[in-house]
Amino acid sequence: MKKLMWLAAAAVAVVGFGTAEAQQTPQTQTPRKGGTVRMTAPYGGSLTSLDIHTSPRAQDDIAGKILHRTLYNWDSAKGQPALELAKEVAVSGDGMVYTYKLLDNAYFHNGRRMTADDIIWSYTRIMDSTKGFPGARYVRFIKGAVDVEKGAAKEISGLRKIDDFTVEMTLAERVNPGFLFFVGVTAILPKEEVEKGNFNSNPVGLGPFKFVEHVPGSRLVTERWEKFYKPGKPYADKVIVLIMGEAAARDVAFRNKEIDTSILGPVQYVAYMADPVLSKGILEVAEMFTRSMVMNQASIKPFQDKRVRQAINHAIDAELIVKRLAKDKAYRAVSWLPSSSPVFDKTMKPYAFDPEKAKKLLAEAGYPNGFEFEWTTSPNESWGLPIVEAVLPMLNRVGIKAKAKLIETTVLTETAMKGTFEAYIGSNVTGPDSLSTLKCFHSKTPRTACNYTAFNNAEYDKTLDEAGQASDPEKQAELLRKANAILYDEAPVWFFNYNKAVMAYQPWLHGLQANPTELAHQYPEDLWVDERSPVK
Amino acid sequence: MLLVLVRRVGNMVPTLAAVIALIFVLFSVIPGSFMSGLGDDGRTMDPAVMERMRKEMGLDQPLLERFVKYAGATVVGDLGTSFRTREPVTKLIAGRLWPSLKLTMAAMLVAMAVGIPLGFVAALRPGSLIDTASMVGAVSGLSLPKFWLGLLLMYFFALQLKWLPSFGYGDGGLTHLILPAIALGVSPLALLARTTRAAVLDVLNADFVRTARSKGMSERRVVTWHVMRNALVLVVTTVGLQFGSLMGQAVVVEKLFSWPGLGSLLVDSVFQRDIPAVQGCILVFVLFFLIINTLVDLAYVAIDPRIRYG
Amino acid sequence: MRLGANTWIGGGLFAVALAVAVTAPWIALTDPVMDANLLNAELPPSMEFPFGTDAQGRDIYSRVVYGAQISLTVGVVSQIANSIIGVTLGLTAGYWGGWWDDFVNGLTNVMLAIPSLIFALAIMAILGPGLVSLLIALGLTNWSYSCRIARAQALSLKSQGYVQAARILGYGPFRIMFTQLLPNMLGPIIVIATLGMGGTILAEAALSFLGLGIRPPFPSWGSMLSDARETIAIAPWVSIFPGLAIFLTVLGLNLLGDGLRDIFDPQATTRRA
Repeated sequence: MKKLMWLAAAAVAVVGFGTAEAQQTPQTQTPRKGGTVRMTAPYGGSLTSLDIHTSPRAQDDIAGKILHRTLYNWDSAKGQPALELAKEVAVSGDGMVYTYKLLDNAYFHNGRRMTADDIIWSYTRIMDSTKGFPGARYVRFIKGAVDVEKGAAKEISGLRKIDDFTVEMTLAERVNPGFLFFVGVTAILPKEEVEKGNFNSNPVGLGPFKFVEHVPGSRLVTERWEKFYKPGKPYADKVIVLIMGEAAARDVAFRNKEIDTSILGPVQYVAYMADPVLSKGILEVAEMFTRSMVMNQASIKPFQDKRVRQAINHAIDAELIVKRLAKDKAYRAVSWLPSSSPVFDKTMKPYAFDPEKAKKLLAEAGYPNGFEFEWTTSPNESWGLPIVEAVLPMLNRVGIKAKAKLIETTVLTETAMKGTFEAYIGSNVTGPDSLSTLKCFHSKTPRTACNYTAFNNAEYDKTLDEAGQASDPEKQAELLRKANAILYDEAPVWFFNYNKAVMAYQPWLHGLQANPTELAHQYPEDLWVDERSPVK
Repeated sequence: MLLVLVRRVGNMVPTLAAVIALIFVLFSVIPGSFMSGLGDDGRTMDPAVMERMRKEMGLDQPLLERFVKYAGATVVGDLGTSFRTREPVTKLIAGRLWPSLKLTMAAMLVAMAVGIPLGFVAALRPGSLIDTASMVGAVSGLSLPKFWLGLLLMYFFALQLKWLPSFGYGDGGLTHLILPAIALGVSPLALLARTTRAAVLDVLNADFVRTARSKGMSERRVVTWHVMRNALVLVVTTVGLQFGSLMGQAVVVEKLFSWPGLGSLLVDSVFQRDIPAVQGCILVFVLFFLIINTLVDLAYVAIDPRIRYG
Repeated sequence: MRLGANTWIGGGLFAVALAVAVTAPWIALTDPVMDANLLNAELPPSMEFPFGTDAQGRDIYSRVVYGAQISLTVGVVSQIANSIIGVTLGLTAGYWGGWWDDFVNGLTNVMLAIPSLIFALAIMAILGPGLVSLLIALGLTNWSYSCRIARAQALSLKSQGYVQAARILGYGPFRIMFTQLLPNMLGPIIVIATLGMGGTILAEAALSFLGLGIRPPFPSWGSMLSDARETIAIAPWVSIFPGLAIFLTVLGLNLLGDGLRDIFDPQATTRRA
């Protein structure tokens, strides 16, 4: 069983690198049963759907982790995926066949026991050829899943039920299925409930809490599921998710003790750290998001020259921006892979702030007087307009005239996929699977998939292909490090920062984990509140 | 009376038809899509999945075909299927309608309870300090951005004084309603105060009031009987017009206070490009406005029988 | 004609705002965009920075001063657009009557029925955030009141003697509308436009709050205030000054509008909702 970690009520959080270490507390404090945990869903508006197969948004998976369960979970202590709905797994010699021994005490909230059929049904549903389920990109790695997706088959040939609690999974490609099946959109759902047709209003899952009430746009109320498969858990009687996209309002509510957790932006991070009381309830983690300015090499000529791209990296004082504007709520980026990646090379140093060198590189590239480009940005406070506004004068000093173009965050993805930009600033998930993260710069990866820079480098392709083939994990790590180093040198983007996610929590809340894949995603069976909680 | 009703309902039809067509056109040219919006937190979307979603939502069909389908369904009360929840939009809206109505009515109550007496008092002593102070005060409320006012209310009444919860719907109780209702009610309050003042002034100077005074009716009776009744017509109009448009104005307040009304549904839906939900919300706002206006007209006739509709 | 206290106070406030906007390049201390210096971020008011600095290290005083240009441009331009649309539609509808009148009436009903903030929000989402989009969004969605007034006036004036006389003299319909009818309704139209201007400045702030305002390169009061809302407790000066600028200007416009109404239109005081 996963080792549990308790958060001290009165300790400042330790930043986790890779293995995110939340602080260990004295084991003298035994979790209290009962009480209500009030979490917040801080990312924008109302929940998309409680049918977690339909939405990949981080906001929705906050509720997903409460109501539903996936085959794997993220183990923040070890920094890797861990089996959740299976007791053990046997892997074939070639790493292509995984045989899972499933839990025999996992019950859906309708009282029915989960079996191998539920795994197979859920994954098959995700591949439905007539519907768009975001989880298809993960299940597609199972052999035969593509045939179902194309409508050529009814069943995924790579999934086989051996008995009620044993399932065999044959992969189409060599990957670690843990990286695929810990993602919320691949949750295991009960067929009979989904087929009733109103699953969004009456979600039934395997999670530690069962559905009570959902007031769309306001809150989700759940209560303890007595037959949850982890002994003695969950602790709390109720978990409530409050939908609060507005940071200024969340700040008031947290200070007013109306909510137990809040995700902090840079401004509030500084304010909370400076506060003698609030600073004691801060949990930080290096999340696997890389913020960068993506330069579209297919758009304007200057971006095709490596020296220009390097010059941009030298011209911007990213250190200063991280410190002053991001208020140290971020880590200076070195290359594409985040510092929390297991193959991150700690010896690599970020591009130095050196405007003189930048000017020299620009002159060498044939742009002694700089050039102009249009910089697309969203209003986001951490990786959007405010950053652009701070960078514009810096680029101006080396002769580069950038013009900011503001678009909505919703339109940003589409702009990136269509390639209708010269440069854009954004935030990308860069973990936990480093291999698939780096594939975004492989020349065979189409723009629509994620090669937004139109990057094309033969040596890089070769290195990455070799990494994909490598059976020795050490060798693979070595190759991935090399690929990441090539990206550093080629600078297809301006490496800005890796996110430091920060959560404020009330002193009575315990059991949070520093989840680097998304800090807002907590496994609520571990959470408990002591007597000081204002709600009974 | 019945004639008025029939006429007004008949007038609604072309307006509604135009609104339906207009919002369809507007939101068919909006950049971004529901599918790409799903990837807006850095988790890129799979192109094949996006394509299937497009088909499922019928977005691959020609525009004209989609419009005919949409308009046809709207006529029979089917507002389509939400992209997000994959449930009928009518169901989404039904869940938000009561919180929205509650907030709107509470805001209107705040506005009436303060605005009408304020305007009345001001009108009795025109040009006095009380008059100037109450009018400048009322207009001040109208001159603050709503989100700013809301935040200040939150800081003061929730955080400093600890009197009220700062956000949310709670269990639907009164305490959660007060702050957003004040934030929303301030601008109709100002307008109502101005209208009441003007209406009362008009009536006080009217011939029949002068006559009543000259007949020796006490000032108090003049005010209560004649002025009140005659000013009522104008006040009712203002209340009605304000009430009708207030639901749509609640967007900012609902977002700030995490209030689960139609306004926040609309904004969320716009940002996530859940077009059927957006269209449904706007249609409800419009319908609400039209219905309230019809009721105002009816009230008009009831209060002042001299008004006739030809 | 008696000018009330309203008119003086309101007119004064608005005149100050206008003066600031016009003289911005001379009275600003720094460039509101390019003089960002992160080393100076969030400094409280001082001799060097009279209103303090914002999160980017920019001088808030200079930004408020330049912000007047943006905010007043938004207010004035969009209200002029609204008035032109409203008056043109209303005049022609009232004067000609017939199917055109029915059509304009229908259009006005539609515009009245869709909440204007939501209409503007939709247009901003379609055109993308920015100054031009904002001018379009606010300039096209708020003409129903001036249209109604223009129409009502045209209806009541067109049967009057001097209009009849003009017609007999062979004046064309446009000449009659714009030389005979229009001058008689300018008062109420100006009142509507003045009050509407305040509403527009507030609408800009609301749209900024919702994430669909104007943004670079220049600051608007609404976006400054909206950006500063998280620092209200720790760096209050970042929000107080743009907040005050909005408040005083809109208050000025509202008082001025009220005052002008008392002058132009002492009877009908209540038509505007």
